Amino acid sequence: MRTISFKQAINEALYQEMERDERVFLVGEDIGKQGGDFGVTRGLLKKFGPDRVKDTPLSEAAILGVANGAAMVGMRPVAEIMFADFTTECYDQLVNNAAKVRYIYGGSIQAPIVVRMACGAGNRTGSQHSQNIEGWLMNVPGLVLVAPSNPYDAKGLLISSIRNNDPVVFFEHKKLYNMIGEVLEESYTVPLFKAGIKKSGDDITIISYMNMVHEALLASRDLEKEEIDVEIIDLRTLIPLDKETIYNSVRKTGRVVITYEAPKTGGLGAEIASLLAEYCFDDLKAPIKRVAALDTPVPFSPALEDYILPNKNDIYKAVKELIL
Amino acid sequence: MPLDSTDLKRMYRKMVFARVFEETAGREFKKGNIPGWIHLSIGHEGVLVGCSYALKKSDYFFTDHRSYIMTALMGTPGEKVMAEIFGKSTGICKGKGGEMHIADPEVGSLGNNEIQGANLATCLGTAFASKIRGTNQVTAVFFGDGTVGRGEFHESLNMASVWKLPIVYVCVNNLYAISTHVRDAHPVEDLSLFASGYKIPSKIVDGNDVIKVYKSMKKAIEYVRAGNGPYFLEYKTYRWQGHFLGDPASYRPEEEVKWWKQRCPIKRLREKLLNEKILNQHEIEKIHDQIENEIENMVEFAINSPFPEETEAIKDVFDEWGVEGR
Repeated sequence: MRTISFKQAINEALYQEMERDERVFLVGEDIGKQGGDFGVTRGLLKKFGPDRVKDTPLSEAAILGVANGAAMVGMRPVAEIMFADFTTECYDQLVNNAAKVRYIYGGSIQAPIVVRMACGAGNRTGSQHSQNIEGWLMNVPGLVLVAPSNPYDAKGLLISSIRNNDPVVFFEHKKLYNMIGEVLEESYTVPLFKAGIKKSGDDITIISYMNMVHEALLASRDLEKEEIDVEIIDLRTLIPLDKETIYNSVRKTGRVVITYEAPKTGGLGAEIASLLAEYCFDDLKAPIKRVAALDTPVPFSPALEDYILPNKNDIYKAVKELIL
Repeated sequence: MPLDSTDLKRMYRKMVFARVFEETAGREFKKGNIPGWIHLSIGHEGVLVGCSYALKKSDYFFTDHRSYIMTALMGTPGEKVMAEIFGKSTGICKGKGGEMHIADPEVGSLGNNEIQGANLATCLGTAFASKIRGTNQVTAVFFGDGTVGRGEFHESLNMASVWKLPIVYVCVNNLYAISTHVRDAHPVEDLSLFASGYKIPSKIVDGNDVIKVYKSMKKAIEYVRAGNGPYFLEYKTYRWQGHFLGDPASYRPEEEVKWWKQRCPIKRLREKLLNEKILNQHEIEKIHDQIENEIENMVEFAINSPFPEETEAIKDVFDEWGVEGR
């Protein structure tokens, strides 16, 4: 199969959906002439013109307003929030509006928007350009959170997100943008609300998403040498969670490490651990472990940033603590 | 289009409808039949009716905080609006919205909002969609004086002006944001002055003169529909009661309230209709009786309607994904 980068895969998804459906348009800062701060939307302005690739002023609330309003009257907007950290500037549109319109208007209106945003740390970009914000959004009923870990899923999940009738926040981890992987040239979908099994195993389940899937894979290679057979779940859709896949795996292995790059407290790790305590308690052979970032802002200095972020060694250690 | 006597009679009828609906809702609230709270629009009828009379059903509009009645004025059956504020399953939003979330896309109503300023962002999208589809639809967005303090107000005017979006901004300046007077919240009392900074033409209009409201709104809509970009209207008006029913509104001088009540938009049109012999006293009374009757029927409909089934609570969260019930 042909190989392309994660960001090219996203570009291709946008291109193919815009060609297929004229209701799809893009709106965001520097997405047109500049082709996006990370080059994700490069070439799309030239192909589709300024009405469908809309550069905006620095107005995140207005950007999501454009998306929400247009979606409410039948369009399929894809908004770009340049850095996930800027979500604070449009939080109301996302949380109080996009997520609620179908519900509060009794099903008569919906807001099928996709909000793409670059997230994640490890690039020495400081505390306001490095955050993973799924914890800010995950207890807002009505929002779908999607977080691909590789180019193939990025393309297929984005196409599914655009076609989905709910508001979707689509996380793009900055460290993955240049990852190369096999991607089909034709249009295809990867289903939402369905986790992927990256690796099957019997001894322990590692639940992860985005860049941390790769750290888990690296850790599993070291663990294999010690004959520890790891199963790795890539959540892909963070909310709503594919509980069945999680439960089935944990019922098999009885041991769980949940690893993610967001601060440890109050995120996916807390939610999944609670679910397992509630529904799989009798299947557990060991305590549940979380391997995540420390509960600090993201520091600038490489020495400090590397210290607060989780990596394959932390995962390895956590697994070893559970399998004596 | 000049207004003929039929139009004036219709507008009078609509203003009385809005007033009686709200007075009745207030009464039912006090009886405990309406849950939560209620933000009445009594005093705003000139703006509500003048503007809705100028809009087409194919246009889009977002109402302000106390104007759910506008959706009924645009054609949604009144009993469905009444049932909604009663929290009943027969409500226009199945009882899931309430008095602050009434929408009906059939008449172009895309909802009011508990978050002041949110609709100023969202209206950019409906207008953008109309523009790129070339449908000639106008979006009207209504907001109070207090909303001018919100960031979305400024983001919206800026973007709409740069993109020449078909939006009529309708600032319903009733002088108070809950208790805060417009002069204590903004550097100017004429809020349309903000529009000039964004190169948006504007007009200040007496909001208690329904004919002037209609004419100004009609003109603004024509200007916007012709592709000239947004227009800003500021209607000076007054709410007769507190921010919500039960707010004693002790922050307002009695003299001021009295002055505004003398300028009642309904009374003013009634005097005109009588003076010009378009209607006589008997006909006026008949209109009032008819409307009171209609609205009592709406109340009866709402009272007799069932509350939603509990299972309704877990519907409409996601399109395909089911939320677990209790």
